[in-house]
Amino acid sequence: MKFINLLKKELSELINAQMIMGLVVSLALFWLMGNVMQSVTSELAEDAKSTNVYICDMDDSDVTHELIKDMESSGAKVNKVTVNGEDYASGFKDNSFKSYVVLPKGFADQLANGEKPEIISVSKLKSASTFSGLTGGTDNTEALINKYVSIEISKQKGVSEEDLKHIESELTVVSHTVVADKSAKISSGIILSKITTTNMILPIIIMVLILMTSQSLIASISNEKIDKTLETLLSAPVSRGSVITAKMLAAAIVALINAGVMMFGFSAYSKGMTGALTSDLGVSDKVGKVLSAGDAMKQLGLNLGVTDYLIVGVQLFITIMICLAISIILGALVNDSKSAQTMLLPIMMMVMIPWFVTMFTDVNSLPTVPKFIVYAIPFTHTFTAIPNLMFGNTTELWIGLVYQIIVFAVVMFFALKLFKSDKILTMSLNLGQKSRFKKKGKTIED
Amino acid sequence: MANVLEVKELSKQYSKVLAADKVSFEIGEGEIFALIGPNGAGKTTTIRMISTLLQPTSGDAVVAGHSILKAPEKVRESITYLPDEAGAYKQMTGIKYLRFMAGLFTSDIDTLNGYVDRAKNICGLGDRLNDKIGSYSRGMIRKLLLARAVMTKPKLAILDEPTSGLDVLNAIEIRKTIKKLAAEEGMSFLLSSHNMLEIEFVSDRVGIIAKGHLMVTGRTDELKERYNAPNLEEVFERVVKENEIH
Repeated sequence: MKFINLLKKELSELINAQMIMGLVVSLALFWLMGNVMQSVTSELAEDAKSTNVYICDMDDSDVTHELIKDMESSGAKVNKVTVNGEDYASGFKDNSFKSYVVLPKGFADQLANGEKPEIISVSKLKSASTFSGLTGGTDNTEALINKYVSIEISKQKGVSEEDLKHIESELTVVSHTVVADKSAKISSGIILSKITTTNMILPIIIMVLILMTSQSLIASISNEKIDKTLETLLSAPVSRGSVITAKMLAAAIVALINAGVMMFGFSAYSKGMTGALTSDLGVSDKVGKVLSAGDAMKQLGLNLGVTDYLIVGVQLFITIMICLAISIILGALVNDSKSAQTMLLPIMMMVMIPWFVTMFTDVNSLPTVPKFIVYAIPFTHTFTAIPNLMFGNTTELWIGLVYQIIVFAVVMFFALKLFKSDKILTMSLNLGQKSRFKKKGKTIED
Repeated sequence: MANVLEVKELSKQYSKVLAADKVSFEIGEGEIFALIGPNGAGKTTTIRMISTLLQPTSGDAVVAGHSILKAPEKVRESITYLPDEAGAYKQMTGIKYLRFMAGLFTSDIDTLNGYVDRAKNICGLGDRLNDKIGSYSRGMIRKLLLARAVMTKPKLAILDEPTSGLDVLNAIEIRKTIKKLAAEEGMSFLLSSHNMLEIEFVSDRVGIIAKGHLMVTGRTDELKERYNAPNLEEVFERVVKENEIH
């Protein structure tokens, strides 16, 4: 009985509204992530089932016509793609497909001469998310062409053991990647690997920066409230605006130092990664004359310039300001050390959700409701800033930036209003606990 | 004797609770006035309004000629406030804390040094001022904070429960300091306490407050005589009962 009494007391301390709120938020996060993964996996499944084949027949010969017929008889639905000269980006007139295969001029001649015929695989990259490279490839089309070419070469050369070996590696595939209206002779996988390896650390820096900045400002305000030093400070001959500006500025300076140190480390890391990629990837292509990953990035317009980095810097600055404004409000809600820890939870959620989502997929590919939820989080636009700049989605970038500025203005307005009112001393978020401001039905301390 | 503080029908309404209801009193120069009453009587709310921390629902208070509504920044130049159970920045040393707080009252380095020297003398912490506040006992922190509150020679020092949680010796020392500053330097004090016997010792006049109403004000000996009571506690009991009857 005594033990039960002790257990009940311990449980009542642990199971409280704060814990339940944490569980609800975790459930919401899992729900959102589930939606993200579902949209990604359903895209993968649809892609696997798809019988669509996109072909640009530049050779326009009897052989290529026969090849297309053969594909159709194998169950494929062949869609013709037209291209202006060698401008492979012009093939993507709409967003209904992500890749196509070009049968170049001389395809039939190469085959007739018993040579390995060359085809061109063109893929369009729209985002740098992990799953963006997993769908919409040209593997199915290549397999169908392979099959046809195998048969043709078999007919020409007989089915000797030597010929079979030859047939096994009969097709030379030259990969092209398209970004917006530019294309480069490199596989989309290499580009994606480079973007991923060089950029994976940046979202982590953003996340750490936001969390550290929030934590320091929430702690600064909450400690002053808990220790009652805030009352002393606010009764001194200094304006409340000065008090809060000093706190925000101090947190911003610390954030800046952190950002500087992290960016320095990041540049060293990035340099190492770029070197490794340039020597290991791209140049090993069998065809030769293939661009290095770095040159291809440049040709595709994926390298960021000084202006781009300035925009990213501005966006990061606004992000920090939003984070500080939110932290003022959260800090004001604290009335004890326990609630101070809980207050970081909303910021953590607002950072983790866009981080995970942008890491795995393109936000635009999400179902409507999760998409709006993710876009409503102001920090999402910071995570999407660099990919938007890389892939030329300038409209989305500016909309995101304007949205962040509006969010900052609104949150800052309420934060200042709160700090200049009685509420900075009387407000608290108790989540089911009785506040020291609300004892026995009273709303005040004394 | 000129009034340093004039409180005029000060009220504070929280959502459902009237925390202070038309509270009026005044404090003269060099006078120690104490608001006494049980927990939740409205003492801290009244004090916070006078300290410009809370906005009154109605009424006004004038501190050294400045209205808390019209010139709160001028009021803050004339007062210092020591909250109940207040702490100090634990990572700072005592001396750094005093310098930091003095720096909020003046930009002149000589004046600042003068404030700090005065605080050093009043708190009597000696070399311990070079230690971090986190290592101080509750009594030491209270002495430091009291020294901080009076170092700038404010026209009015507002001390909320100045000796709460302290042992007898520390409490006596703080009471003596308050009395000495009022008598020798003419500093005015507004105290609040639920310890009525302590207030009887330290204050010149008291105001008895309960449920947000300031029921009576007067000198302690006058009140004891008027209510035929041996001490302030019994005066308080009789005042509350009398007001309930009416």
